[in-house]
Amino acid sequence: MSMFRDAVSMTALATVTKTALLELLLSVADDKLMLGHRNSDWTGLGPILEEDIAFSSLAQDEIAHAQALYELAATVDEHQRSADALAFARSPGEYRCAQIVELQDEFNWATALARQLFCDHFDHLRLGRLSESSFTPLAQLAKRLGAEEQVHVEHSDAWVMRLGRGDAESNARMQAALDALAPQAVMLFEPVQHIDTLVREGLYPVAGDMFEQWKQEITSVCTAGTLHVELAPPDPTVLGGRQGAHTSELTELLDEMCAVYRLEPDAKW
Amino acid sequence: MPTRDAVIELLREVPDPEMPISIVDLGIVERVEIDDTNVTVDILPTFVGCPALAMIQDDIIKKLRTLDDVDDIIVNFMYEPAWSVDRISAAGRESLREHGVTVPQGGSDIHSMIKQTATVPLRTSAIPCPFCESKSTRLDSAFGPTRCRMIYYCEACRNSFEHMKRV
Repeated sequence: MSMFRDAVSMTALATVTKTALLELLLSVADDKLMLGHRNSDWTGLGPILEEDIAFSSLAQDEIAHAQALYELAATVDEHQRSADALAFARSPGEYRCAQIVELQDEFNWATALARQLFCDHFDHLRLGRLSESSFTPLAQLAKRLGAEEQVHVEHSDAWVMRLGRGDAESNARMQAALDALAPQAVMLFEPVQHIDTLVREGLYPVAGDMFEQWKQEITSVCTAGTLHVELAPPDPTVLGGRQGAHTSELTELLDEMCAVYRLEPDAKW
Repeated sequence: MPTRDAVIELLREVPDPEMPISIVDLGIVERVEIDDTNVTVDILPTFVGCPALAMIQDDIIKKLRTLDDVDDIIVNFMYEPAWSVDRISAAGRESLREHGVTVPQGGSDIHSMIKQTATVPLRTSAIPCPFCESKSTRLDSAFGPTRCRMIYYCEACRNSFEHMKRV
């Protein structure tokens, strides 16, 4: 059931544009697919029933968002791979997600929430930029996704503040999780490949300093929760997920997530 | 050749698979086009990749098959224009309310409520209870039985109820 049957004439885009656009779309979709998968780890194991449901819903949202983005990516892929093939049939080095979404939280509730805080604010800001994209089908989709992502941001903010203001133990655990994940979190901002083309052609337009805005949002939530966080822009000499550098945890995650797909890649569901 | 009115009347009989409301009252039917014996229906998903979409598609096709002289039935899904809770009809709102599901008022903005989260408890709301109309209600969870609904609790009549997310 494709949403993009007659979206635009994709053939009108130059090859160089399609290549850049695919990088961009995969980075967004891969972030969402892996984060959604990690969110689903909490199904049945959430600390309270509402959060069990919340993390299951977050997973459902993120994976649905990823699916729509892979469908769009399939329309600009020069190799004409299907959305399923893009999601499940690449080698680990071909994924473009940041490493923070592939790492396990080891069922540490504070780690799970710190990751949500960093990723949800980033995703929401990124969708805002994408909703101004010169690639109309992406702009329309991003606008819809942004409205849904807003609820995720609120959920993360509420819980980080709640734990920060809880008692000494919850505060200490939340603080430790923020400190541990902050260096990974800033790598969400590692530029995707062909970023110059994407910005120049208005596919991923610049709207102010996104890093500063993100830092400000995170800091204000932390301050309200009597927590603090140190965030510096990523070191441009460090290679991360946007360039295909991943941890062994991504390989393990893919082995689990793609187990059924790999049994019969051409199966129709 | 079927008439547009006949098609719309039949679509009124197609319920949302997860809520007591027809797809017409839910406001997801954007366009009906009839070309001789072929019918095209454009649907706006409430949420991106809503798992009920495939079922809605099947239900529409099954229902329109009951018309005489119809050949192809095409159901398209699109994001533009974007669906919003403001597209739910007055009759649809009433039907949802009777079943304990409230809908954000036109022009209301969820964001203004959210910024209160600096305090613990997380937030209170001015959303009236669908059962007793009390405004002593609070958000229990932003995530409910489906992706489009949240769970609220009424302190006055001690009932849980659902509220649709503002998108």
